[in-house]
Amino acid sequence: MLKDRRSDILVALVLIAPFLAIYLLVFVYPTIQMFRISFTDAPLIGAGSWKGIDNYARLDNDPMFRRALWNTLYFVLLTVIPGTLIALLIALGVSRLAGRLQALVLALFFLPYILPVSVVYLLWDWTLNFQFGIAMHVLDWLGIARIPVTKSATWFMPAVAWVTIWWTAGFSILLFLAGLRTIPTEIYEAAALDNASRWTTFRKITWPLLRPVSALVLTIQLILQLKIFDQVYLFSQGGRPNDNMVLVYYVFQRAFQQNQGGRAAAVAVTLFVLVVVVSVFQFQLLRFAERRRQ
Amino acid sequence: MRLRRIAATALVAAGGLWASAAFAEETVVWWDFLGGGDGVRMKQMISDFNAAHAGKVKIDATTLEWGLPFYAKVQTSAAVGEAPDVMTYHASRIPLALTQDVLQEITPDDWSKMGLSSSDFAPATWDAVSSDGKQYAVPLDTHPIVLYYNRDLLKKAGMLGDDGRPKGMGSGAEFTATLKALKDSGVEFPLGSVTASGDFMFRTIYSFMCQQGGELQTGDEFLAGDNGQKLQNTLALLQGWTNDGLQSKYTDYPATVALFTSGKAAMMINGVWEVPTMTDLAKQGKLFDWGAVELPVVFDKPCTYADSHSFAIPKNQGKEMSAEKRSAVLEVISWMDKNSLFWATAGHIPAYKPVTDSAEYKAMEPNATYSPLTANMIFDPKSPLAGIAGPIFGVMSTYYVPTLNGEMDPAAAVEGIKEELNAL
Repeated sequence: MLKDRRSDILVALVLIAPFLAIYLLVFVYPTIQMFRISFTDAPLIGAGSWKGIDNYARLDNDPMFRRALWNTLYFVLLTVIPGTLIALLIALGVSRLAGRLQALVLALFFLPYILPVSVVYLLWDWTLNFQFGIAMHVLDWLGIARIPVTKSATWFMPAVAWVTIWWTAGFSILLFLAGLRTIPTEIYEAAALDNASRWTTFRKITWPLLRPVSALVLTIQLILQLKIFDQVYLFSQGGRPNDNMVLVYYVFQRAFQQNQGGRAAAVAVTLFVLVVVVSVFQFQLLRFAERRRQ
Repeated sequence: MRLRRIAATALVAAGGLWASAAFAEETVVWWDFLGGGDGVRMKQMISDFNAAHAGKVKIDATTLEWGLPFYAKVQTSAAVGEAPDVMTYHASRIPLALTQDVLQEITPDDWSKMGLSSSDFAPATWDAVSSDGKQYAVPLDTHPIVLYYNRDLLKKAGMLGDDGRPKGMGSGAEFTATLKALKDSGVEFPLGSVTASGDFMFRTIYSFMCQQGGELQTGDEFLAGDNGQKLQNTLALLQGWTNDGLQSKYTDYPATVALFTSGKAAMMINGVWEVPTMTDLAKQGKLFDWGAVELPVVFDKPCTYADSHSFAIPKNQGKEMSAEKRSAVLEVISWMDKNSLFWATAGHIPAYKPVTDSAEYKAMEPNATYSPLTANMIFDPKSPLAGIAGPIFGVMSTYYVPTLNGEMDPAAAVEGIKEELNAL
């Protein structure tokens, strides 16, 4: 059948136009603006004068920026791989269940994910409250001295990492479960006939076939956790915000608290570049590993 | 039947519209950040105002999130001409607001139209809304911190004076002795302190620094000269209370109030805005005999940190305010100040002196007991970095929390604070 290519293209353009318009307006344009004002001394609102790379040069000497960078990377380290592994373990467990029980258990694990971050914060803030928290009574019962979890520089990041994993694992579990279901049962049956042990089955069948899903979960987690803000902001309210500084928080502080749009944009651009570099690097790494396996 | 009723309703509605258009009622768009017990009282005042001005001026009020969200929204909306006609503003945020250019001056002409003048306010409060001899807001109240106390527990420890106030309010050593006596009488926490929130403790620490004549900022420098030493003295005193088990550790705001109201803490340093919590509980018969007084003098002279809720008129970019609108706004502000006796039930001290001088106010307790402290108030340093939810809060908080809970040496904290503040 003959087709009019030109009218096809026209229809396609009309169909994607609304998306494209919104995308250009609320994503591309602000991004370009962000790059532009990062070279100026603009306040939060309004124009500023050109400063060249001043804002970036200052970051080199900025202890708060260094702390924010370090805390962000530390948080990524604490959440991305542990979170993915925990989700995988739970998904493997859930996949062994069947029927209603599976649905129920899955729902229980997924439940935290649907909560808004403010609710997650309140739940854990009261649980970990130094005077009245349930967790403190558990420590008392175990004979361990109470720990001011969210007020101590040592425990803050691990605690927030734990809460984050608890909160977001549901989504990763769902992805892994979908991945597990795509593995044909015949392969497992064949392995069983060959007398393969459980560990061998996992190592030789499940893990390699789950690779694409694992790569996806890792990438999503990595990008998400590099952009950590909400939990850190909420948990350090009134506490030790500058000890718990992370990059997005620092952008927020410079822009909204100190009214320095230009310097905030410079930090935001740095984070942008960091996310791009890290995710491209991770993608290449995973692809390289894939090739070597083949 | 039903159709007719709908038609009738529509007619009435249309008539109402026509009527209001004919009277040309002026609507004043109002934003505030008063979400707590004081918010309830403000809503009452707004509806009283609307009732008294029916057909002339109507306030259309919206309450927004307190703190940074409120101020960020004001700044962005003023930039595009969408800010309200009048809004509540913390006096401590005025220096920053001036660099953001979001406030209109309250001109001498405005003051005379409102029938208010500098002599109606405490000098410190008037100064807090002034910059270079011009005023940018009209103070509604001052809200200092005070010392709340449990008379029953103090009496048991033998530390209640004949005047019904705590003993040992004259020096650091005396006050520490009072705390120790409370501890010996079996009180778990003689003093409930918000030790988990450094930004809250800023108020207490700043007060005690001022009691030694210390200043946070002189010129462009932070903690110059012996001001660092004065901060260190304050931190050492407070840390000593923690180390001796005299004040609660790592306690956040709600937990502190809970410790006090449940009788676990005998005293508490907190804002006057908690007065309604106490009066309401007492009314329900769920509270002990309580009181509130000016902070103890732990150093050389009485001094208390305060801030002021004030009214400000935003500078809407590209949108001139009509003369009618402006006079309606001034009427709103003036009425609120002159009728602020009811506002005092929220604990705040009305800024308008004729109200605090009135017999009705003097009969209000504990308000009348603590309100003389307005003679010894200190406000935030006048800097765009200061003010509630400002950058100074963040730096201070980060060092105060470990220091107050005995993790960090006061001298080291002062060094760190100095370095970070001067790097801002």
